[in-house]
Amino acid sequence: MEIITKFRDSDKTGYVMSLPYILYFLLFVGFPLFFSFILIFHKWNIVTPMEWIGLRNFVRLFSDIQFFQSIKNTLIFLVVHIPLQIVIALMLALVLNEKIKFRGFFRAIYFLPVIVSGVVITILWQQLYAYETGLLNLLLVKMGFSKIPWINDPKYAMTSIAIMATWKNVGLYVVLFLVGLQGIPGYLYEAADIDGAKPYQKFYFITLPSLNNTMLLVIILSTIGGFSLFIEPFVMTGGGPMNSTLSAMLYIYNQAFFFGHMGYSATLGFFFAFIILIVILLQKKFIEQK
Amino acid sequence: MRYISVVSFFIVFWIFACNGSKEKIYADNEKVIKLTYWCASNPQEIKLAKELVGKWNSTHDDVKIELQPIPASQSSEEVLLAAIAGKTTPDICSNMWPGAMDDFVLSGGLVRLDQFPDFVDYITERVPKDLLESFRSPDGHFYQIPWKTNPLMIMYNVKMFREAGVDQTPKTYSEFLEAAKKITKDIDGDGMIDQWFGYRSLKPIWWQRLFDYYTFYIAASGGKTLFKDSEIIFDNEASVKVFKLFQDIYANGYFPITEFQGDNFIAERLATNITGPWNIAYVEKFKSSDFEYDIFPIPVPDDYSGPVYTYGDHKNIAIFSTTKYPKEAWAFAKFLVSPESDLRLLEICSQIPIRKNLSTDSLYTEYFTSHPKIVKFAQQAPLTRGVDGVSDLKEIFDGISQEYEVCAIYGKRSAEEAVRKAAKRAKVIIDWNRSR
Repeated sequence: MEIITKFRDSDKTGYVMSLPYILYFLLFVGFPLFFSFILIFHKWNIVTPMEWIGLRNFVRLFSDIQFFQSIKNTLIFLVVHIPLQIVIALMLALVLNEKIKFRGFFRAIYFLPVIVSGVVITILWQQLYAYETGLLNLLLVKMGFSKIPWINDPKYAMTSIAIMATWKNVGLYVVLFLVGLQGIPGYLYEAADIDGAKPYQKFYFITLPSLNNTMLLVIILSTIGGFSLFIEPFVMTGGGPMNSTLSAMLYIYNQAFFFGHMGYSATLGFFFAFIILIVILLQKKFIEQK
Repeated sequence: MRYISVVSFFIVFWIFACNGSKEKIYADNEKVIKLTYWCASNPQEIKLAKELVGKWNSTHDDVKIELQPIPASQSSEEVLLAAIAGKTTPDICSNMWPGAMDDFVLSGGLVRLDQFPDFVDYITERVPKDLLESFRSPDGHFYQIPWKTNPLMIMYNVKMFREAGVDQTPKTYSEFLEAAKKITKDIDGDGMIDQWFGYRSLKPIWWQRLFDYYTFYIAASGGKTLFKDSEIIFDNEASVKVFKLFQDIYANGYFPITEFQGDNFIAERLATNITGPWNIAYVEKFKSSDFEYDIFPIPVPDDYSGPVYTYGDHKNIAIFSTTKYPKEAWAFAKFLVSPESDLRLLEICSQIPIRKNLSTDSLYTEYFTSHPKIVKFAQQAPLTRGVDGVSDLKEIFDGISQEYEVCAIYGKRSAEEAVRKAAKRAKVIIDWNRSR
C-alpha cells in the first residue's frame, strides 16, 4: 500500500522519460531473449507450427561435429587475432604518443578502417588475397616467391582473416592504449631516468603495469568481438575452404536462416554465449591485477 | 499527463485508421478490390511487371493491382518465409522457387489452385502435362502455376575458342577437358594464368551447387533429380562422374581457385559461363563491339547416350492464403501467363515461358527470328528438370556442397567417397528433420 501511495504522490515525469528505454528494452532485448529461451525446447522453421521436443536440441548439439569445429575455428581466430592486435596496437600507440610530425593525421588514418563498413573492407581484402589475381600474390611472384593460397587453403585461411580483422580493428585499440598511455604520470618516467633506467626497462616496469586496466579492456573487447566473427567469413569465404573459416556465429546463422532450424540455432546461441561468459571470467581472473 | 494520453490515443487511432481494408469505396459507391503483387526485384522483371500491371489496371475497373518488387534480401525465399510468419504476404507472387514450396504448403500459406474449375484446362493448354505433374504437391494438389524456366547451358566466347583452335563445341567430358586445356593459359608471361576456361564460385553455399554439380548431374543422369518417391537417389554413378570432372578441372587449373568481382566473361578472361537465358540481355548490354558469343548444351559423360537434360531454374506463380480475393487473384494470374504476356516476358526479360511448342508457335516466330541466341534456350526448355519440392533440400545441398568442395575443388577425397558421404549426411538430415 505504501509503495502505491508513494508512486501516486511522486512526480511521473521520470517514468515518462524512461519509458522509451523500457519499451526499447522490452521489444528488442527482453522479448527476443525470452522467445529464444522458449525456442530451445522447440523445433520451428518459422512457417510451420512450433513443436515441443524437450531437450533434443541439446542432444543434437553435443553430437554436432560441425558446431564444435566452428568453435575450434573461432578459438584459432582468437589465438592469432588478440595477441597480434595487442602488439600492433600498443606499438602504434607508443609511436603516436610521441611528439612526431603529423601525429593527428596518423591517428585519424589508423582509425579510418574502424568506421568503414566491414563488408567493404572484406571485399577489398578478398581482392588482395585472391590466389590467381590478387595483388599480394602478384608482388610475391614478382619478387621470385611462390604464390600463397591466402584464403584458399585451410591452413592459411583463418590466419588471413585474423590479419584482415586486425587491420580493420587496430585503430580502436590504438585509441584505447593512447588514453591509457596519457594517464601514466610523467614523474614515474622522470624518476626512472634519474635511476638510469633503459628504455626497455621503462617500458617493462612502468608502461606495461600501468596499462593493465587498458590491457584487460582491450582483451575483453577483442575477445567478445572475436567470438562474434561473422561478416568476414560470410562475405569472403562462406565458411570454406573445407569449413576452416566457419565461425560459430556463421554456423548459428546458417542453421537459423538457411535451414530454418530456429530452435536448434537458439540452443547453439545460448550454449555459445555460455562459453563466451566462461572465457571472459577466466581472462578477468588471470589478467586483472590489483 | 492527460494531454499525453489524449495525444497517444489519437496517434494509435490514426495508425489503425490508416491500416484499413484493402477494399476502397470510391465516390460513386463502386467497390474496387485492391490486390498486392510481388515480382522479382531485377530491373527487367520490374519493367515487365510494371507494363503488365499497367495494362491490367487500364482494362479492369473493379480489380486494381498494386505492384511491389520483393523486398531486398539474400534470397526471395527468406523474405517470403518472413512474410508468412508475419502474415504480411502479398495476394500473389511470381517469384516462387519450387524447392521452397513444401514449407509454404505445409504452413497453409498458399491457396490451392485446383479448386478453381478452369485451372487444369487453362494450365494444360499452356504447360506440358508431365511437367505440370512435377509441380504437384505431395498432398495431390496444385499450389503453383508453372511460369518460366531458365535452362542452364554454357555460353562461350567464340573468338577465344577459335584462337585456341577449338573448332567444335564440346559435347562430352573428354572434349570439354580437351577444350579447357587449349584455352587456359598465361598470356602475358608473368607466371600467373590470366585466361581460364570457366569459373564457378568457391563458396560452399548450398545454392551455388545448382549451377555446377546439380546442372551437370541432371545432364549425366538423363534427367534425374536428387529424390525419387521421397528416397535419396543421387548416390549413383552420374554423381561420381560429375565430381570427377570438376576434380579434373580444378586440379588442372582450368577454373581458377579464386573469387572474382565483376564479370570476367564479358572482360574476356573466361571462355565459358554456365548460365541461363537471362544473361543474354546483360551480355548484349555490356559486351564490346567485337565480342562474339554463342551457346552449347551441358556436356555429358563419354559413355552417355540420349537427350541432354539440364537444370531449369523454374520460377512459378502462387496465390497466398492471406488474400481476401482468391478468385480475382486467379484471374490476374491467368493474365500473367497469357500468350501475350509470355511474349513480353521473352521480349523484356529474355526468359523462357513454360509453354508448349514455344519455338514453333506463330505468335513468337518474329521474336525468335530477331533473337537467334535465345532459340537454343527455348529448344532446351522441354528438357529441363527443377528441384525436388522437399523442405530439407537446402540442407541436403549444403551437405553435397561440403563434399564437392573437399573432393572437386581441393582434391582431398575421392569422388566415390565424397558422393557416399554426401548421401549419408543427407539421410541423417532427413532422419532428424522428419523425426517426431
